[in-house]
Amino acid sequence: MKSLTLEGATFWYPATESPALREVSLEVAQGEVVALVGALGAGASTLLLVAADLAPRVTGGRLAGAVARRDRSGIVLPTPWTQASGMAFTVWDEVAFGPANLAWPTHEIARQVDRALERLELIPLASRDPTTLSGGELQRVIIAAILAMDPGLVLFDEPAAELDAGGARTLWRLIRLLAKEGKAVLLATSALDALPDVADRVVWLEDGAVRAVGTPDLLADVAACDAGLGTSVATVWRASGLPGPYPLTVAHAVQRWR
Amino acid sequence: MAVIPALRLDGVSFSYGTLPALADLSFSIAPGERVALLGKNGAGKSTVVRLVAGLERPDEGTVWVGDWDTHDAAPEQLARRVGSVFQHADQQLFASTVRDDVSFGPRALGVGAREVERRTDDAIEDLDLAPHAAHHPYDLPPAFRKLAALAGALALEPALLVLDEPTIGLDGALRGRVTRALLERSAAGVALLVITHDLTFAAETLERGLVLDRGTLACDEPLAGLLGDATRLEPLGLVAPPVAALSAALDLPGRPVRAADAARELARVARGRPGP
Repeated sequence: MKSLTLEGATFWYPATESPALREVSLEVAQGEVVALVGALGAGASTLLLVAADLAPRVTGGRLAGAVARRDRSGIVLPTPWTQASGMAFTVWDEVAFGPANLAWPTHEIARQVDRALERLELIPLASRDPTTLSGGELQRVIIAAILAMDPGLVLFDEPAAELDAGGARTLWRLIRLLAKEGKAVLLATSALDALPDVADRVVWLEDGAVRAVGTPDLLADVAACDAGLGTSVATVWRASGLPGPYPLTVAHAVQRWR
Repeated sequence: MAVIPALRLDGVSFSYGTLPALADLSFSIAPGERVALLGKNGAGKSTVVRLVAGLERPDEGTVWVGDWDTHDAAPEQLARRVGSVFQHADQQLFASTVRDDVSFGPRALGVGAREVERRTDDAIEDLDLAPHAAHHPYDLPPAFRKLAALAGALALEPALLVLDEPTIGLDGALRGRVTRALLERSAAGVALLVITHDLTFAAETLERGLVLDRGTLACDEPLAGLLGDATRLEPLGLVAPPVAALSAALDLPGRPVRAADAARELARVARGRPGP
């Protein structure tokens, strides 16, 4: 079942002539993780804002083409600290803020908050004042707050940016788990090395348009490597002058090397 | 006469109210040295940046920036020696164009108009920001805003750059740009202290690793050896970057951690064997 469908979506920010998205057609199904990659400014963040119904509704600007959403969406912005309510004195209350605004019964709010805190390994921080958290801790709190609203379509913009290695590993595993539970996940990331284990499909954006769509193997393509979108292993392999196809991961490289 | 370190922390402790952040932390950084400050979320890394920039004062101990004790120096005075990029760089941008923001620092230092222009041009050029120089910083994606803040720090031409996650959200090409700009500054004698979770960037750019664990120094050693040793990284909450993992898995000579070095060794070893 498609959770999100874009058909020929073109989007202009206010007072700009050149569109930030050009004729983008894309589907994200329930149970699927789709990753947007591209150079900075290629349109991945804008695509997430359109998917979240924030562009043009909140940003202004103009959208052409069709966007259909089957599920309620939740978005984790690349600036998660701007998403804190500022009205909670504990992490628990911060995560409960969204569900409370959905007017759920108290026991359901508590259940969702506890579950989200556990999934982001935040139970030890539940009674902390959010203003005393480190950047990475707050990023996990915001992710928990979005997940506590139980969105069917989850949108992440650079969700691992401020996370340490353990936090990033937890997050990528959680994203796979969300898909397994039937959620549709669309994410933008520059952490290309994480994608072979996380993404079902990779969408390469260039200048606001879809340049290529494929499995994560796309990140070992000659063209992707040339554009700086190869995984570290593929990029090293290509730079060494060894023939293709290039290995995507360390494990693939070891197989090739034998 | 011994060279005065660009930065020296001497027995520094700091708490946010009752919440301890740093405990008896000591290290120093020489001019031109390139240092990564690593560690888990909440280990105290960003607190170090705030102390060095003079936004906080240590509860105990001393932070020396060159021969200045930060107890006696206001942030605006420290800006003559320290260029900082904070974790949430948005909070340090306020001008209506990227160019005005980048030039604010040198203007505030009182350098001459022509010199302000030169420094601003250099910093913008170094980070490939020319296409965005006339844009309002808030019309740009967050990663560009961080680059604008970094350009502002470069334009101060300080003796010490203290950068909190300078590469978040940057694509490979721009990360390479940041690496090149920082290597150039370091070669000219600028000391670098860089907080990053991006160990691929750290391997390409920096040479020494300090690892903080709950406010204390858990490790201080050359980055190349540390990043290649997965068994030591694990308890520190770090994961070997893919290039280091590749070098270890293929047992490449010298266990290189930088992409270009690994590619060279890979080619060399491949020439000496029948496959792959």
